[in-house]
Amino acid sequence: MNRLARGTGRGVLIAVAFAGFATVVRAQQDPLNRAFDLERRGSYAAAAELYRTVLASRPAEASALLGLERSLVPLNKLPEIIPQAQKAIAADPKSTSAYGVAVRAWAAADLPDSVRKVVERWAAVEPYDEAPYREWGAAALSHRDRTSARRAYLLARERMNRPDVLAAELAQLAALDQDYPTAAHEWIMAVRQLPGYRGVAVSSLAQTPERLRPDILKQIDRDSTTDARRLEVDLRTRWGDPLGAYKLLAGSLSPSPAVAIDALQQFYEEVRGLTSKDGLEARGMVLEALAGRLAVAQRPKLQLDAARAYADAGDRNAAHRMLTAVAGDSRNAPDIVSGAAATLIGLLVDEGNVAEASKKMEEFRTSLPVDDFQRVRRSLALGWVRQGQMDRALQLLASDSTVDGTALAGRILLYRGDIANAKKALQAAGPFAGSREEATARASLLAILQPIEEDSLPALGKAFYSLDQGDTTAASAALVDVAAKLAPDGGGAELRLLAGQLLAAQGKTEDAERLFRAAIVPKSPATAAAATLELGRLLLTLGRRDDATHTLEQLILDYPQSAIVPQARRLLDQSRGAVPQT
Amino acid sequence: MKRRDFLLHGSTGLAALGGLPVVSRILRLPLIAAPWVLVPMDDLQSDHLKAYGVAFRVLERGGRGEWFLNYRGGSFLLPSDLTVTRDAALAGVRCEPLDEGALLQIRAEIAQGNMDAIPLEKVPKVAVYAPPNAQPWDDAVTMVLQYAGISFDKVWDTEVLAKGLTKYDWLHLHHEDFTGQYSKFFLNYAGAPWLADMVDRNTRVSKSFGYPSVPAEKRAVAQTIAAFVEKGGFLFAMCTATETLDLALASQNVDIAANYADGTPMDPEATSKMDWSRTLAFQNARLELSPTVPEFSDIDGHQVNTADRRQQLGAFTLFNFSAKIDPVATMLVQNHRDVIPDFYGLTTSFTRRTLKPAVTVLADEAGAPWVKYIHGEHGQGTWTFYGGHDPEDPQHQIGDPPTDLSLHPHSPGYRLILNNVLFPAAKKRELKT
Repeated sequence: MNRLARGTGRGVLIAVAFAGFATVVRAQQDPLNRAFDLERRGSYAAAAELYRTVLASRPAEASALLGLERSLVPLNKLPEIIPQAQKAIAADPKSTSAYGVAVRAWAAADLPDSVRKVVERWAAVEPYDEAPYREWGAAALSHRDRTSARRAYLLARERMNRPDVLAAELAQLAALDQDYPTAAHEWIMAVRQLPGYRGVAVSSLAQTPERLRPDILKQIDRDSTTDARRLEVDLRTRWGDPLGAYKLLAGSLSPSPAVAIDALQQFYEEVRGLTSKDGLEARGMVLEALAGRLAVAQRPKLQLDAARAYADAGDRNAAHRMLTAVAGDSRNAPDIVSGAAATLIGLLVDEGNVAEASKKMEEFRTSLPVDDFQRVRRSLALGWVRQGQMDRALQLLASDSTVDGTALAGRILLYRGDIANAKKALQAAGPFAGSREEATARASLLAILQPIEEDSLPALGKAFYSLDQGDTTAASAALVDVAAKLAPDGGGAELRLLAGQLLAAQGKTEDAERLFRAAIVPKSPATAAAATLELGRLLLTLGRRDDATHTLEQLILDYPQSAIVPQARRLLDQSRGAVPQT
Repeated sequence: MKRRDFLLHGSTGLAALGGLPVVSRILRLPLIAAPWVLVPMDDLQSDHLKAYGVAFRVLERGGRGEWFLNYRGGSFLLPSDLTVTRDAALAGVRCEPLDEGALLQIRAEIAQGNMDAIPLEKVPKVAVYAPPNAQPWDDAVTMVLQYAGISFDKVWDTEVLAKGLTKYDWLHLHHEDFTGQYSKFFLNYAGAPWLADMVDRNTRVSKSFGYPSVPAEKRAVAQTIAAFVEKGGFLFAMCTATETLDLALASQNVDIAANYADGTPMDPEATSKMDWSRTLAFQNARLELSPTVPEFSDIDGHQVNTADRRQQLGAFTLFNFSAKIDPVATMLVQNHRDVIPDFYGLTTSFTRRTLKPAVTVLADEAGAPWVKYIHGEHGQGTWTFYGGHDPEDPQHQIGDPPTDLSLHPHSPGYRLILNNVLFPAAKKRELKT
């Protein structure tokens, strides 16, 4: 760029800078802008003075009048605006903002007669406008005067000769008075007038006491409009009847696909967070309905979600229907097909239909990604374990070298009584596979097995298998038998502690106490501390507070470094009422 | 016995205990070699709240200790006997053994800084004012006393009116409404079983003592409490009890109760007829005249139950006092935190405008027109008011689950309550101001 060009460029920049500066200066000189600025900075008194200056020369300036009102409210001096409001009305008798300010100012001054006069004057100017009466009602409500507010709203209705005038306002008043039938009546009109009110209406009517709800639903049912149906659907959902709500929705869907889809999507938003059986079933139904109406590309994802919802609701037939449809449709994306196949196989395993699940796994083997395939295979292995077929289960896991697979193999080896290999596998799996609960359970299991020197104990395997099958009676008896054959510090103490826990859960407290005491051996300090804690807990549940206190105190003093000392302190606190029972 | 003598006796007494190692072995505690333990109250403490209980129980057993104001968060010096170390171990309270040399060093440090050592020598007899059916979990003080293991008696109107409070040193009030208007829940919670029970219980008591109404009876209770302070008692109040106690005292000759409470409407000119010379802390408050608004006056800065007046919660800051010149105020603000998140109550805070000039502000919210924690004298006694309901449940609602203090063992808000419990145990001495 040559000097001339550079000079011209600088000239332009300077001109722009000056122009900007001049604009800023002009803005700063304009009292209205300065007043806005002061108000923004929280200098309300100074802002109010400037707004007054503007209004002195331009009394009908709505921005200044509203600015003055905003500045006086935090100063708690709103009534001081009355002279300016009066002048504004005189200067522009049709200014709705001036009337509004005047109503609020007289209300703040607690002069209801003046409020009424301003409203009457305003209403004479705008006879078909609800605003004067709305402001009047709001003014009355600011003094917690619901009766006058209602009177103002009803007067508007009478004068305008329309039954739905200020319906939302009257509905809210009725709800405040706990007059829910009137509130419902008004809300129906308000929603019909402006469908956007539906959310507020539902929140307001949702508070209806349970005994009045059937009457409210009947009342809404009498109104045949679509808006009333939608309101009823939302209320039924809120009041714990999502299935009834869905049936109602399905029966009243608009023939227009777009409107119907919108209604279904809104219903889905209402039920998506529900965890009850009916809520999950309703979620499945609405997703299935959406899948049938939306574009083909969106369908499989919705069907898959519907299947999961049905499965969670325990509706296996519906879940099967959805999953088979998704998995069997070759047009679907591979990840959708594999997701559906994996869910279907999991469902079959849960039902105990392991052979059928195996077939499905082979059928979908090529479409399942490696991770999904291994997960499915582990769930199949667990299915065989449940049926007592340990060899088949282990066979399935033979080529699974994942941490989860190794952990599962460890458990199966334990069920077979192969203690040495079970320990190896559980140790190899480490504490990180699966969920936190699974990892904790595995670590606890390993802690029980580690002191045992025997390589093979089929009786112990059976005991753990019984335990995993939910047969705690057989498991505890078997554990006691095995413990009797082991040295206390060779696993005997750990097994007694576990058996004691099972017996305590069964209510066999005497046997449990005996086993806990037997597990407190100095050579196994970690087990002794845990057994002392369990003993303290048991004594507390038996109401033997003094014994429990002594036991827990002994635990804290004898094993101060034990990780379970905080639990012992908490139990102590609970036993003496120092913290609430949880 | 002078403090120095007591310290000397304490240490020689322990050293003379020949059987100590045997007892130690029995209890499997570490051998106690040092004559003292320091209970630190800074961030190293494992349970700040229970530490007060350990110190309190030393006094309860007839022992003595010292409160090292502003030293490591307001630590305690306790004799290192087996009972103390066992008690601390059971409570999970951190104690540090201290020999004479280390103690001398600490004393030198205290002498040089804004710190002081206050002897703790008398266990205060503590009473908590609460209705007989009150749940322990609905009162922060009851909760923290139980958690710390500090023993107390429960008293209510029957005990206060029949026997007075002469046998107690320290009295706590929580969310009682001394204006007799049932916390102004009467209209909004009409029909709730707990409210019906409260009304029934109060009505029966007021009748049994021959008062014409519950507000009249509550005013008599308030006057008895004021007399207790005047004669040298220590009063600690939280939540609504702070505001309504003073309103009841000031309304000697004016009806400030709504129609539902005493059968006559509130005097519309009540605000101008209040006699503030009778109150402990407040003056010139404007009363809330509407029976449906669950607020009493503009003493409370936050007005939590009135949507259009409710103020946001901020945080309050404890004042720093001179430990050697103003030990009382210093004791009341001992803490390991200076800034504490605020918490609502029916009365959350106290507007500065309504404080009497002699009131000492212990904590406030910077820039706000209200303060949180105040203290003052009345006759020969003292009072402390602490706004809010539960320091660890900032938005406490009726029916909320109880606060479990084992989840908040370091709560700085609860520490302020416990400072008040221990403060009457401190040896009185001539103050420089």
